[in-house]
Amino acid sequence: MRMDRIGREPEFSRYMDLKEGWLDRRIFSDADIYEEELYRIFARSWLFVAHESQLPKAGDFLTTHMGEDAVIVTRQPDGTIKVYLNSCPHRGNKVCFADAGNTRRFVCNYHGWAFNTAGELQGMHEEYCYDEGDIDRKKNGLRQVARVGSYKGLVFATFAEDGPSLDAWLGDFRWYLDMLLDNEEGGTELVGGCIKSVISANWKFGVENFIGDAYHAGWTHDSGCRSMNNGQPFPPIDMENSYHASVNGHGWEFGTEGVGDLFLLGRPKVMEYYEKMRPKMADRLGTMRSQIFGSVASASIFPNVSFLPGISTFRQWQPKGPMQFELKTWVIVNKAMPDDIKDEVTKGVMQTFGPGGTFEMDDGENWENCTTVNRGVVTRHERLHYRCGIGRQIDHDTLPGIVYRGQYNDANQRGFYQRWLDMMEATDLEAMPPRPEPRLTGIAETRDLPGLFAL
Amino acid sequence: MNQTSTVERPSTGAAASLEVSHALTQTLYREARRLDDEDYAGWVAMLADDLHYHMPGIETRYRRDTTDQITDLTRMAYYNDNLDEIKKRLSRLETGTAWSEDPATRYTHIVTNVEVENTEKADEFRVFSNFYAYRNRNERDEDSLIGNRIDIWREAGGAYQLVKRRIILKHNIMLSKNLNIYL
Repeated sequence: MRMDRIGREPEFSRYMDLKEGWLDRRIFSDADIYEEELYRIFARSWLFVAHESQLPKAGDFLTTHMGEDAVIVTRQPDGTIKVYLNSCPHRGNKVCFADAGNTRRFVCNYHGWAFNTAGELQGMHEEYCYDEGDIDRKKNGLRQVARVGSYKGLVFATFAEDGPSLDAWLGDFRWYLDMLLDNEEGGTELVGGCIKSVISANWKFGVENFIGDAYHAGWTHDSGCRSMNNGQPFPPIDMENSYHASVNGHGWEFGTEGVGDLFLLGRPKVMEYYEKMRPKMADRLGTMRSQIFGSVASASIFPNVSFLPGISTFRQWQPKGPMQFELKTWVIVNKAMPDDIKDEVTKGVMQTFGPGGTFEMDDGENWENCTTVNRGVVTRHERLHYRCGIGRQIDHDTLPGIVYRGQYNDANQRGFYQRWLDMMEATDLEAMPPRPEPRLTGIAETRDLPGLFAL
Repeated sequence: MNQTSTVERPSTGAAASLEVSHALTQTLYREARRLDDEDYAGWVAMLADDLHYHMPGIETRYRRDTTDQITDLTRMAYYNDNLDEIKKRLSRLETGTAWSEDPATRYTHIVTNVEVENTEKADEFRVFSNFYAYRNRNERDEDSLIGNRIDIWREAGGAYQLVKRRIILKHNIMLSKNLNIYL
């Protein structure tokens, strides 16, 4: 799409020095920077809009936001998915007010303009009032996004006509994503429903917390961990055998002990299920990934999706102004799981990472205060420290991405803000550098990566 | 016939006796006071061993949509807990490291519209009520949670214990950062 603002004063690099390891706090509070984020990041990124399992049948729809743009996501009769603005081209009113459902058409409440599930204008109330030549129906459908793509169940859309394909956007991060999306035959689904809350904090605090901040977990969540596991403290972190991996601004921090996040969920039956499954997972994804899955880990997909592999919360941080976001949360499970295990996972997620969860309760308060203190003009010009582990980058034979040793690290956060800067300053998305050069180019499945099973 | 009465069943319209209605209304007020005072030991003492405490997440759907958002227990829920699970949540407060509970949140639970009905079981009563729960913390954080409840209370040794509670919160998007409260 045409972006009038792009190219104007691309000087966002003054807000950070990632080689030194600091950020300027204004990126978490300034209204002008937030407005530029909507144009430069949210109107140009591949954004998560749905999981395929939420739209099993033709006519199934859900409503969501891409940045602050309201969109409808629908399953077409031919099985494809379309995404278009939830806004009538006549006066702009919303045409759908439900969170989800099944329909044959969307009719605007204002003047009765009716659209099929492909978003095409089919007719309107008192159509005779339009003379010949007044309206071209073909040009007055609901505004479609530029591209829709999916990766192993996750559906993404972008308003950008040009720029990287979804595969290139995700890049080598697919190697990590497959631990969540493809650890068992049949893939994943979201449990029914969606629980939403409002947090008066900048959206990036949620993303960066999940992308790399294992460091906060043992302190912020001491009470959560002890409550779910009979008083036991947070599992110990092995700084030698745990990592940060960053790819194109996405990030996954993880141990290799295999059980930490499963332990934090506090549901022994779920732990047993995965322990039994682990040899199969090793056959499917290789030994390394079967050891990573279930470990203390957290991850984010640039720009605003996060999840905890093993704990199974899946979430999106929807921006609502510089100092507020809406948190949408789901529970992600393997389709092949027996129903009682799905129920165990769902209960576990809601008891840990629902709004009333023993972990979630302590996060919101932190992020709100990290944000709202920046109302102070002196405070907002102070720098924030992002230097932890800055010297620990390694080359790793198996792990793709920009890899740092030790999961207590700010490396993935620095990787995220590097991509934020790339997007904020890019006039041509195609020219954005891959970070780093991909290993998976030309490989259809991440399990086909040479050498994966040799280790 | 030994099954506990359900919260799904529509109202029987069979009002309980004045004495039972009064006793259960007072029980609801006592429960609210204990929650206001963070007297969770006192609250747990009012809960039955076979408790089911359920607060479903409810999406906005068109009227024609027949999705069961209330009684389908496989769907996401703020609470879908038995007594042990409620105790687990509460044990967070005993750790001394529940940072967002210190300074304490200030709560007021207002309970109204109480109706008490007999059920098929002589010792169990269905109680409808509305609630307004107000929270205020730190400098100016505040929010209001409003909704309906349907409970089953069981008489046991001269007092009443909560066996089932279904809470219908009126929010679609919960207009708050967390839910450090019981309703």
